This record gives sequence, structure tokens and C-alpha cells, in this order.
Amino acid sequence: MVPILIDGIVYGLQLSLLAVGITLIYGLGGVLNLAHGQFAVVAGVAAALLMGNGMGAAPASFLGVAAAGIFGLLIDRSLLVPAYRYRGEERLLLGLVLTLGLSFVIDGYLNLSHPNVSLTIRLPMPSLTVLGITIRSAAVVTSLLAILAFGLLFLFLRGTLLGKAIRSIIQNEVGAELCGISPSRTRTLIVALSGLLAGLAGVAQGLFSSLGTEMGVEFTILALIVAVVGGVRSINGTFVAGILLGVVNALASYYMGAYVTLIILLGAAMLTILIRPSGLLAYWT
Amino acid sequence: MARYATLLLVGVILALVPLTTGGSPYYSRITTLMLVLMVYAVAFNMLFGHTKQLFLCLGALAGSSAYLSVVLTRELGLSPWATIPLGILVAGFLGGLFSYVSVRRGLGVIFLGVVTLAFSLIFYNLVLGLRELTNGETGIVTQGLGAGILEGPRSSYYMLFALLMIALVLYSALMSSRVGVAFRALSDDELTAELAGIDVTRYKVIAATVGSLLMGAGGAFYAYYTGLISPALFSLISVDIVVLITLVFGGMGSLVGPVLGGAAVTVIDELVRPFGQLNVLVYGALLIVLFLAFRGGLVAVLRKTAKLPIP
Repeated sequence: MVPILIDGIVYGLQLSLLAVGITLIYGLGGVLNLAHGQFAVVAGVAAALLMGNGMGAAPASFLGVAAAGIFGLLIDRSLLVPAYRYRGEERLLLGLVLTLGLSFVIDGYLNLSHPNVSLTIRLPMPSLTVLGITIRSAAVVTSLLAILAFGLLFLFLRGTLLGKAIRSIIQNEVGAELCGISPSRTRTLIVALSGLLAGLAGVAQGLFSSLGTEMGVEFTILALIVAVVGGVRSINGTFVAGILLGVVNALASYYMGAYVTLIILLGAAMLTILIRPSGLLAYWT
Repeated sequence: MARYATLLLVGVILALVPLTTGGSPYYSRITTLMLVLMVYAVAFNMLFGHTKQLFLCLGALAGSSAYLSVVLTRELGLSPWATIPLGILVAGFLGGLFSYVSVRRGLGVIFLGVVTLAFSLIFYNLVLGLRELTNGETGIVTQGLGAGILEGPRSSYYMLFALLMIALVLYSALMSSRVGVAFRALSDDELTAELAGIDVTRYKVIAATVGSLLMGAGGAFYAYYTGLISPALFSLISVDIVVLITLVFGGMGSLVGPVLGGAAVTVIDELVRPFGQLNVLVYGALLIVLFLAFRGGLVAVLRKTAKLPIP
């Protein structure tokens, strides 16, 4: 039981990391990014290509994550500009369709040009034993990275003036603009930041097992489920929902099998929307 | 009047298509699949073109109807003609239910999109998981289950042609009745429509139910025509994206838009086919370009250049 729970929490941290970008972009930019999983894949493929050219795993991963951030920045400044011209439902709709198109463009391009590229990073020491429980060292490394990333994100949002500005836009875009905050510049920052976070999750997948070019859709779906269950505007909610669903995923796949597990997760997302659209954990956070 | 003249013209042109293909099985298959796509696009036009309900489970609706009918036919030894209506009704019920819940719960574009997307993935995984009934990824052979008229090349073309014409006639009848007036009002502004005394819930559910019934009919006919059904045939990329592109390319909210779009997308699909996996990339790019620069579709272009009042 305990190893399953630990597996669940480790996986849940990765889910949170993957999903928090969706929450940030939706909360701040009013766009539900359906190409979010593809950001993670971009980082993984970039790192894999660099490693294929003889670069070490650590610098390659670092540059891969940076590539996803830059990619996010470019997308915000190009593809999403027309969507930002609208507000409310119109922007949501256009953003949804544009990022859906983008996800297919990325998937199609990567499958055509790099069909056999995959990222696998092996750590020097495969496993550790703590208190009699054996844990894969990859699980420890990725969990620490995720906790570090979330810690920095919370510090940034709570402790800095820019973080305050970002939270003010999430609360009310027009109000923030009236106070002299530029939504478009903060938006670019946030989309780039979300790209970095997704990229980190992508590289972490390479540490766990391997990341292939076809995994973008799966990542997007998982991230979407977590973001929805956490309430797509709440960062704390996304963090908790990721861990919760990670544990649910571990228990369900141990006791019931893979198909049922995904159906349970999807059902959780559907029910959340129907019962409490602001997120299951909206009160609690 | 223009509406009936156009319907007649579309009917005559499509009825003559099999004569021009000269019995080649290749072209016969392409043109029949084009009709399926047109039926889907007419259905989606009601959902999205008129009432702005972005369903991301078109493939799953068509697939639910197809799988229900095929599995019942195979397991219970029934005639396909007894199970097809059942499949269609279930698809209509599901679509109506999604719409009702979304309007009642006040779900916006995003949440309806996520709920229907989740349904579409649940459907996909159920079909994969219920291996004893569905054969999982391998799929079920539907040939020889008794839907003879849907299996021959020419007869199947005319069956789907009949379905498309029924869909188009139904569409124009709806649009020239009170329902059409309500659709136009609520697609402009839902709140204003509500204040003017239009029951928004009712008309959105009507649009979703009729659209989903048509998706179900298209899916079931397609299942028996194509000879082998597998979950991949009803996935997001093979149905939803293509139908979205078809509708926007042809022209949303118009009678002939789905027909023009269906023809155009069929041609594009044939052009890309030799390049294998390229179609995913092309469809993604098309989706972006169409929504940014071509939102009126072919119908708007024709209206402008030929100065015709195309319905």
C-alpha cells in the first residue's frame, strides 16, 4: 500500500507541474491551451536531439526546458495575438480552436520530421532505500524538481510586485489595466513561464521512462483533467488536484487496470464541471 | 424560393456524380465518404454554426450509434435495420443531454468543450476496454451483417445521398420555421433572445438533438458501408477536426456551406494522401488559417463575387 501511495504522489507532482501552465494561461490570458502537452514534448524532443549530438544529459535538459519557454513566448506573440483582440467567450472560443490547430501542427510536424526521436535519461544510481522502502532515484529527483518549481512559483506570485500584478489580472483584467498594468506583457511572461513548467514535466517524463513525439495529446488530456478538477483558475487547487489524481491513478491502475483508470479520471473531470465548475477544491484553497 | 432552387440544384448535381466516375471503385468510395462528411457537417452546422455549441464529441456520437447498432446486430442476430434506429436515437439522446445539462448549468464554451472532449475519450477507452464485445483496436467486420443495400458501391452512394438530402430538407424546413427565427436570434445574443421571450434552453437542446441524431445516422450508415469499424474511425482527428474544417471552409450557418466544404475537404484530403502522415499537419494548419482569415467560408466568397443570394 505505501509504495503505491508514494508512486501516486510522485506521479501526482508531475501531473501538477504539467497542469499548472494550463491554469496560469487560462486564468491570466483567458485561453484554454489545448497544445499544452505539446510544449512538454517540444522540450523533450529538443533535449533528445541535443543529447544525440553528444551533449550531456543535464545541459541538454536545461536547454530543452528553455526551448519550451521560448516556444511559448513565440506562440503568445504570434498565434494568440488575434485571440487576445477579443474578450470573454469569443476569445475563449478562438483560443480553443487555435491551440487545437497548433497541437495538430506540432504533432504532425514532429511525427513527420523526427519519428524515432525519444528522450530517455538514465541516472547513475537507479534506486535508493529510505526507511526500508526502495524508491527509484528518478522519482526522488523529479519530485524535488517539481516541489522546487512550485515553491519558486508561489514565492514569485506571493512575494514580488510582478506576481501581485499577475494575480490582479487573474482577478480582473480590465481593473488591472486601469491600474496601469499591461496585460499583454504579463501575458507573454506567463505563457513563456507555463512553457518552462510544461517543459520541465516533459524532461521529467524522460527521467521516469521515456518521452516520445506522440505523447503530446496524452499530456494535454491529463493536464486538462487536473486543471479542471482543481478549478481552472486556482493554482493551489491545481497543485492539490494533481497529487489527488496521481494517488487515484496509482490506486486505480493497481486494482483495476489502465482503461478503467483513465475513464475514472475523465469521469472525475466531467463530474467536477457538472457539480462545481469552479473546481472541487475551490472552497478549500 | 432560392432555398428550394438551391436544394434542387445540389440534389441534381450530387445524384449525377456516380455517372461521371465511371464505376471506378476508387472514386466511388471517395464520393460516398464525401457524402458522409457532408451529413456530419450539416449536423455540426446546427450545433456550432447556429447555436454556438462546440461539441468535441462528434466522432464519439457517430461512433456510439455505429457501435451500438453493430454490436446488437452481431450479438443478438438482429437485422441492422432494427438496430440502426436505436443507435441513432441513443446518439440524439446523448447530444440532447449534453446540451440540456450545459445550458442548465450555465457552462460556457470552454466547459462544454471539456465535457464533450472527456466523453469522447471515455467512449474511445470503453470501446478499447470492452474487448469481448468490440474486438478492441482490431475492430468488427460489418460486411455481411445484413445491411446489403449499404454495401454495394452504387446503392450505398444513393442511400447516403438520400440521408444527406433528408438532412438538408430537414435543415431548411427548420430554418424557415419558428425554430430558425429562434436560432438566428440566439446566435446573435443569447441574453437578448431570452429577454425577447425565446426559450433558449429549448432551442439549444433542439439544435443539439437534431444535430446528434444526424451524426448518429451518418455514423451508423458509414459503419455498414465501410465494412470494418474500429475506434480510430471515430477519433477526434478523423471526425471532429475534419468536420470543423469542413463547416468553416464551406461557410457556417448556411445551407450549402456543408456541401461545398465537404467537396473541398475531400479534394484536399486526396491531395495530401500520398504524403502519409502529412494530413495531421495540414489539418492543424488549415484549422488555424480558416479561423483567422476565412471565417465566412466559400459561401461568403461566392456571395460576394457572384453576387448571388446563396442560402
